[in-house]
Order: sequence, then structure tokens, then C-alpha cells
Amino acid sequence: MNTEYNARPLPTTIPEYLEQLRAALSGADPAMIQDALYDAEEYLRSELAEQPGKSEAEVIAGVAGSYGAPEEVAEIYRETEVTVNRALRAPRPATRWVAATPVVAAAATAASVESATAVPPVREPAQRSLLARFFGVALDPHTYGALFYMLLSLATGVFFFTWVVTGLTLSVSLLILIIGIPILLLFLGSVRVLSLVEGRIIETMLGVRMPRRPTYTDRSQGWLQRIGAMFSDSRTWLTMLYFVLMLPLGTLYFTLATTLLSVALSLMFAPMAALVFGHPFGIWVDGVNVGDAFWLWPVSITVGVLLLFGTLHLARGIGKLHGAIAKQLLVRL
Amino acid sequence: MTELDAHLRKFQKELSTGTVSLALLAVLAKAPEPLYGYLIAKELERVGDGVLSGKQSALYPVLRNLEGAGLLESHVEPSVAGPPRRYYRINDDGRAALRQWIAAWNATRDSVESVLEGIK
Repeated sequence: MNTEYNARPLPTTIPEYLEQLRAALSGADPAMIQDALYDAEEYLRSELAEQPGKSEAEVIAGVAGSYGAPEEVAEIYRETEVTVNRALRAPRPATRWVAATPVVAAAATAASVESATAVPPVREPAQRSLLARFFGVALDPHTYGALFYMLLSLATGVFFFTWVVTGLTLSVSLLILIIGIPILLLFLGSVRVLSLVEGRIIETMLGVRMPRRPTYTDRSQGWLQRIGAMFSDSRTWLTMLYFVLMLPLGTLYFTLATTLLSVALSLMFAPMAALVFGHPFGIWVDGVNVGDAFWLWPVSITVGVLLLFGTLHLARGIGKLHGAIAKQLLVRL
Repeated sequence: MTELDAHLRKFQKELSTGTVSLALLAVLAKAPEPLYGYLIAKELERVGDGVLSGKQSALYPVLRNLEGAGLLESHVEPSVAGPPRRYYRINDDGRAALRQWIAAWNATRDSVESVLEGIK
């Protein structure tokens, strides 16, 4: 393993070191790469500041022993991430749901392994586990996280949209006066911070790994160049696009969640309301009750339960989809 | 690399997994003020030997995990030298955990030492 590390010459500048680290981590989770680059830069800059007499190349040569060469650091982060992911992963709901009957549990496990490799389950036992999987969604913590995110996204969506549209129009229109420039810069900075905040929300609720540290900026350039880089960085614009998209998406998520949940719950509890409160049961069309038959009661409850679990599936699916969208637009290297 | 070296590396890695967390908590418990990653790494380097003298890049993910577990708290301060630094401070949960960990460590160390006694 050691010979492999020495295959490449040690970098002589900090940007070169970070570039090698990024290359060594290529293919890993972009969010983890962002964190790793941030950590490495903190260490390297601190070391450089501690040893004022030494050149950057000398400091890096020393650091390769203590902090690690880029390839070693990359391997350490990859290993840690695997361990952390294993610790964070929620137990598989399917196995807990049917734990009482070992045969079905085995079938469910087999089916979820199959679904991971995208083979549709067709045999008879797989059909039973399909049922378990349909109701097992209720035991997946990500389902409720996603559901809560859907309800929350209306508020955050409105806020992000307002912030971006106000900030952009205000600073651009004030650019005629000199005061528009600092406002624009403040606004761009705030977008980066908000992107991290949204990342935290998404990671907590949807379980998608998002960066915990800001992106790496090359500090060897002057501040004018760094400001210029902020404009040419595609991520600045993609983040704003994401925030603008959050208004329609958030409205859609909120509407879907509230409508489906209230319809499902009222279908489930309508018969109970009829029994307990004497509220007439039925389906009204233009003030005429077309569905007051007694046999509709169990149908109503069944449809309500199915709709409720269907909604949970939809929420989990939307959570996954939105996590992927956020990852595409907010985290790119 | 010989096979013996590979065994040693694997053993060191497994040994360091828990001890690094313990050492990080201890360093922060003793520190009078919050420390950032580099200072913590240097402190461990000063006193550290054996598995604690491993690559310091391994400390940062562990710090993040300890913070995620609620044993540490952190805040960010800007710095002239580079990117803003994240300062870590141990909280009450962390101190309680550290006390338990120290007890577990002492028990383990004693029993391992008595097992190892007399081996040349």
C-alpha cells in the first residue's frame, strides 16, 4: 500500500495538494469531498501560519507525515464514511414488519435484496412480501421525515423564493448607484449560507448526505478575483435556480401532503363519526347524498387505509426525488 | 509490505477506532477554551504515541461524529490564516460520556495488562 502512495510526487502548493486530494476522492460522495477539502485546507493553512520561515513546499512535505499525503487522506475519509453510513443506516423496515413469521421475513429480505438489483419479484412468496413492503413503509423513519419536509417546504419555499427574487432585483437595480455592489455581494454570500442551511434540513429529514462545510475557495487569489469567481461559479446560479424552484415545488408538496392526508383520514374515520356523533355518513353531490348505503362503511375505511399508505409511499418517493434534485443543484464539483 | 506489517496495520486501525474518540474527548475536557481541529491534532501529536500518532486527517471525521452524537458543541470563527475555523467544546453529555469511557478504559487496560504479564 505504501508504494502506491509514493507513486505521485508530493504537491508543492496548497491548491495543488487540494487538487490531488480531490482527484484521489473522485467518484466519492460530493458532499464528503467538500468536507474533506475544507478540513485539509484548515490544517494546511494553520500549519503554514505556525511556521512562518518555511516555504509552502516544505510545510506540505512535513504535513504529508503528520496529516497524510492526499491519497492517504482520501482513503481515511472513504473508510470513515463507510463506517458512519453503516452506523446511521436505519434498520430495514420489511424485516421488522414481518419478524413474527420467519418464512415471510426471509421472503421479504430476499425481495428487498431483489428490488435493490431491480429484479421484479414474480413468484408466489414474493407477492406476500409485496404486501409486507406496502405496509412496511409506515416503519421507515425516512417516510415521516419526507412527509414533514413536504409540509415544511411551503414555508421554506416561499422564504427562499422571496429572498432570491428580492435580493437579485434589489441589488441589480441598485447597481446603477455604487451601493448596489456591496448589496449584491452580501446577497451572494447569503445564498451560500442558505444553501448550507437547506442542506442540513435535507440531510436531517430526507437522509441524503449533504455538505457540512462551505465550498473550498482558492485563497491565493486576490479578493477581486474571488468575487469574480463567485459570478462565474455555476453553483451560485444553480443554487439560486433551486431556491426559485422551491416555490412551485414546495406548493406542490404541501398541497399533495395536506390533500391526500385529509382525504385518507376522513375516509377512514367517517364511519366512526357517523357512529359516535351521529353525523350522517355519505357522499354528497350537489347537496344530494348518493352514498349513504351501509355497505359503503367498510369500503370507505379500506379505501382510506390504502390511500394513507399510498400517501406514505408517495412521500418517501418524493423525498428521494427531492434529495436527488437538491444534490444536483446544491452540491456539484 | 510483508504480511506481518499488514497484520500490524490492521491491528493498529482497530485499536485506534475507539481510543481516538476517547483521546479527543479528553483533550477537549482538559482544554480551558474551545479548540479547532489543527490545535487538537497538534496537542495529540505532542503527547501521542502508538495509535494516537496516526494520520491526523483521521481526527476531523471523528470530531464531526462526536459533535453529531451530541458530545461536543462547535462554533465557527473567521481566521486570518485561512478558511473560518470550527472551534469544538465539550458539553455536559460529553463529560458524562468521558467519565464512563475512562472507567471502561481503565478496566480494559488493567485486564489486558494482567493477561500480558510475563510474556517476553
